[in-house]
Amino acid sequence: MIETIYEPDNSLKKGYLCIFKEIFEELRQNRWLTYQLFKRDLLSMYKQSFVGILWAIILPLASVGTFIMLNSSGVFSINDTHAPYAIYAMLGMAFWQLFSTSLVAGSNSLVSAGSMILKINFSKKSLVIGSTGKSVVSFFVQIILVGILFTWYGIAPSFAVFLIPVLVIPLMLLTLGLGFIISILNGIVRDIGNIILVLLTFLMFLTPILYAKPSTGILAKVTTYNPLYYLISVPRDLVLSGIIHEWEGFAVASFLSVLVFLVCLIAFHLTETRIAERI
Amino acid sequence: MYYGMMDIGRNMFGLASHSERLRKGEFWALDDVSFDVKKGETLGIIGANGSGKTTLLKLLNGIFWPDRGRIAIKGRVGVLIEVGAGFHPLLTGRENIYINSAIFGMTKKEVDKKFDAIVEFSDIGDFLDTPVKYYSSGMLVKLGFAVAVHSEPDILLIDEVLAVGDIRFQVKCFGKMKEFKEKGKTMILVTHDMGAIQKHTERVILLHRGSLAGVDTPKNAVNKYLALMSGGVKESETGSKLTWATDNDSELEKANPSPPNDIQEDLCPRRTNYNRNEFRYGNGFARIVDFQILNTQGEEVTSVRSRDIILFRVKVKGYKFVEKPILGITVKTKDGIELYGNNTLYADIDVPSLKQGKELLVEYRIHVNLQPGDFFLSAGVAEMTSEGILPLDRRYDLVHITVLPSDKSFGLVNLETDIRVSSGEVTS
Repeated sequence: MIETIYEPDNSLKKGYLCIFKEIFEELRQNRWLTYQLFKRDLLSMYKQSFVGILWAIILPLASVGTFIMLNSSGVFSINDTHAPYAIYAMLGMAFWQLFSTSLVAGSNSLVSAGSMILKINFSKKSLVIGSTGKSVVSFFVQIILVGILFTWYGIAPSFAVFLIPVLVIPLMLLTLGLGFIISILNGIVRDIGNIILVLLTFLMFLTPILYAKPSTGILAKVTTYNPLYYLISVPRDLVLSGIIHEWEGFAVASFLSVLVFLVCLIAFHLTETRIAERI
Repeated sequence: MYYGMMDIGRNMFGLASHSERLRKGEFWALDDVSFDVKKGETLGIIGANGSGKTTLLKLLNGIFWPDRGRIAIKGRVGVLIEVGAGFHPLLTGRENIYINSAIFGMTKKEVDKKFDAIVEFSDIGDFLDTPVKYYSSGMLVKLGFAVAVHSEPDILLIDEVLAVGDIRFQVKCFGKMKEFKEKGKTMILVTHDMGAIQKHTERVILLHRGSLAGVDTPKNAVNKYLALMSGGVKESETGSKLTWATDNDSELEKANPSPPNDIQEDLCPRRTNYNRNEFRYGNGFARIVDFQILNTQGEEVTSVRSRDIILFRVKVKGYKFVEKPILGITVKTKDGIELYGNNTLYADIDVPSLKQGKELLVEYRIHVNLQPGDFFLSAGVAEMTSEGILPLDRRYDLVHITVLPSDKSFGLVNLETDIRVSSGEVTS
């Protein structure tokens, strides 16, 4: 029989190694629950049928379309992107959207399941992970759109296109890690959810997704230290040309993502029950 | 918000949270509540709203961590609290069953095995593949409940959900609970339904303002609860532990404002049908001093036949001036189930005021339409004040009567039925 003990400051007494074991045991035991919650998120988008899936396309198309218009009318000048701009931008947006929509979904996952959390004891980690359902579907829809663009332009992507699921792993880890932390903070201070939304909009413009990385200026400097840049543009480069230019940046960014993920996972684990007191 | 951030911060960085200290504006939802539950036992938890019952259940479920103390549980815990948890309106009943089951902790194998049983229990029928947003509220409850009930934990926590659904459904639920009991599962039931407490639990915990006011048999706990609810109990000055007015008259004296000079004149214990295990409380401004059970000829009786008429006479003496007395009785089975109750207020009877030192006699003419068995009569006198009904002397289970058979009918009550049979067509 499983024996459970609840005590104040329970986790502290056990030590970090024990906590690690606990976390992975929990994740393993709740695989099916996570899958169910993921599926629920996914299906809810599908069931809204038409507009649901289209929305995944409309938003990025609108941003990209705006930039193309601005570029051709000379308002902005987008430096050379080594590939048809539409594909460059759409591919970048697809990766970015995966990050931003998953993050927003993760941040709000605990708050929206508030009444459930108050009444049933179930793995909240599964909630956060499962909330990425819609974003993942949207991502794949956008990739398909990019595929269509490739044929439209008559270009072939590199073999790396099949590696996309692997290439986005560091990005997803970063997203989940941040999602864990922010979901907890959002539960206590509800403004955080909105703040994140605003921040993400800024970040989208400040990260070279819709334009190529500038070579001079403050932005160039900042971008060198922006892990998101590497996590998005390196897979993009790989798909477009089959060659990676910023190897080391990607490696560091990936390592950072894994670190963030682990730290935030532990922080989440230590504090997840406190959420029920405030949600 | 600030406290929340502090708590989270401390937890995250592995600092001790010092949760046993109260910060400004905080209070203990539960204080010094200790008890144990054995495997296979059914425990009841009762108390006024806000006494901490739901908080206690949430602690047992692991939703809150205790800030002080320790909870040790052997086995898997399940709840019948939130039915329909995780239901998404756009998904079908079938899909929602899977989601709901996963949330309740079932594995895929378990759900596949129990799927048909769940569908059958919930009475959903053809609507299984319709989006849940088209379900009626009753169907939603039944479906959610069906899943919860099949999650088969070792320990089941039930919080007031038994009040939902139609009669047929309630019967199904109680049937399932009985099954659980037979399988040796432990159950903890939180409810305001005193009948359910009497029927299903073996031990009851009474909570009052976050403290443990008693761990007792269902009957005693319910009586104490009723006493608390009607304000007939004094709290001692030393914190929140409660002292009870016992059925010993001198204790009654000490706990309540003292009545004038008189010697205690309670003649009830001398009567043959007096029940020594009565439960008595009240402030003593008027007291029941004697009773009699008579037949319609005015003779005293100790036993009664089913369908007889008895006269239950109660003598009340005033110890202080009572302007608007209310006199009443209840009839209960030996398990404490209340069969009937009435009083002068509900029956619209005028009761003269009772002066100090004077007596009132009330007679209840009762048709004992009960089947053979043991029953208890409770009698009480209360006062109608501007703040409500104030109990002066309530004596629960004061009188024990035995009902003997008079015919061969059966059941709980004897509904004096005349049966007519004729051959051919029945003409009205």
